[in-house]
Amino acid sequence: MRRLFYLFREAWANMRTNRTTTVVAILTTAFTLVCVGIFLLLYVNLRSVAGWLQEDIKIMVYLEDRITREGIQELEGKLKADRMVAGTIFISKEQALGEFRAQFPSDSHLLEGLGENPLPASYVVTLAPNFRSPEAVKRWAERVRTMVGVAKVDYNQEWIDALAGLIRYIEMVAIGVGVILSAAAVTIIGNTIRLALFARQEEIEILRFIGATRAFIRIPYFLEGAVLGACGSALSLGILKFGFELFRQQIRSAGRFSGIENMISFFPLSICLALVVVGMGLGFAGSFVSLRRFGEGRA
Amino acid sequence: MDAMIQLIHVSKCYDRRAALSDVTLEIEKGEFVLLMGPSGAGKSTLLRMLIGEEQPDEGQIFVQGRNVTKLKQSEVPSLRRKVGSVFQDFRLLPKKSVFENVALPLIVQGASTGDIRRKVTEALRAVGVDHKKDQSPNSLSAGERQRVCIARAIVNGPIVLLADEPTGNLDLDRTAEIIELFKLINARGTTVIVATHDPHVMTQVNRRVITLMQGAMVPEQRVGV
Repeated sequence: MRRLFYLFREAWANMRTNRTTTVVAILTTAFTLVCVGIFLLLYVNLRSVAGWLQEDIKIMVYLEDRITREGIQELEGKLKADRMVAGTIFISKEQALGEFRAQFPSDSHLLEGLGENPLPASYVVTLAPNFRSPEAVKRWAERVRTMVGVAKVDYNQEWIDALAGLIRYIEMVAIGVGVILSAAAVTIIGNTIRLALFARQEEIEILRFIGATRAFIRIPYFLEGAVLGACGSALSLGILKFGFELFRQQIRSAGRFSGIENMISFFPLSICLALVVVGMGLGFAGSFVSLRRFGEGRA
Repeated sequence: MDAMIQLIHVSKCYDRRAALSDVTLEIEKGEFVLLMGPSGAGKSTLLRMLIGEEQPDEGQIFVQGRNVTKLKQSEVPSLRRKVGSVFQDFRLLPKKSVFENVALPLIVQGASTGDIRRKVTEALRAVGVDHKKDQSPNSLSAGERQRVCIARAIVNGPIVLLADEPTGNLDLDRTAEIIELFKLINARGTTVIVATHDPHVMTQVNRRVITLMQGAMVPEQRVGV
């Protein structure tokens, strides 16, 4: 217990002694993590917007004109039993005509000359959330196209592909920026720990001579790195939250994008905690790198 | 008597210059030995080898029957907990009080708070600086600092006490006091090895003297008993 207290006290004393270096390390780590956080926030919100938009993706399954009532029932049974299908809405030929007339009242005379209603009956299908990727939609459409009574399957492939591509792109940028800036954070914290190690070189030597184990000597520096990382991360979250609220306020007052401010959101608490833990891990890694560079025999 | 320390044909070179060459010696349990010789004779190298800080190029070193040259890195701390070290430059931590400095070896070992309080108080009393326990080492005289350094070395009851030029920074009176302190510690059963180039120390100790010259041992002499 006394030993544990000593280790924590040493880490704290170290941070207090090198106050300026500690503050600079926390600030630089925070600003580095803010850059990562911006991309992460963009990614998280775009994914949620994408998910919201994907819910709106409907697949039209047009039926052949000669399909019987039994055929329609059989097809509906198959669609409802499909685990990829979340919902279906049947639109009869009459409903389709009614909708056309309602949507294009000035063009409704075009259909009058044809005599018989030319519009097909159809099913509007919504796929389950797990099966909304471009590949899954494509595979499903190809399979349904071969079913008896189906004339055509229609959906907006380009829109789905573009959306998926955008998300992938943001994801890659977020990972790339995250890796590079995380390495920067490790270096910044590592250098702070290195300065502390050089400043306390004599103390480390004394500890070694009186029989301190390597772990006993190293733990305060690991603690210090973890605390610096966690503080930097927490501060970056504070800055991000402030910036995010400012941005939302701007959108709200601009008035042009009404509704968007309610669609975007900040990280949930679980992600905030995870980011603080990640910051802690980066600090720990910085200490590890410094202790290795400082010398196996010395600390 | 049992051998506490054994060196068998130990040699060590730094940049092709011999720091120790073919040193063989034995120090018995409870002995008080002076390691004499001018600067650069190899005294400090020998002491550093006894605590596993340096490894010989050749030869074997045994401390209480354990081969120090074969110790793994992780086993060195347990050796150092049995061997107390006293340095010429004291090596006390200025930001910690006298009490905290002396308590350090016990904290490292995970001793309880009660044990730490009791043993540190005993050690400080033994060296005569218990009334300065709350002061910073920087506020003490050189002689007092060396006493604190000795208290730190003996606080966990080591089997061997190594002192490297412990009187190098002290005047004659303080030197005599510190040597008396070593004699007292030795009288309690601890094997004491004092490395020094100061002939005054030899006249005060009157015990076994091992002399090193340019890394080699010269024939032993025993001054008094």
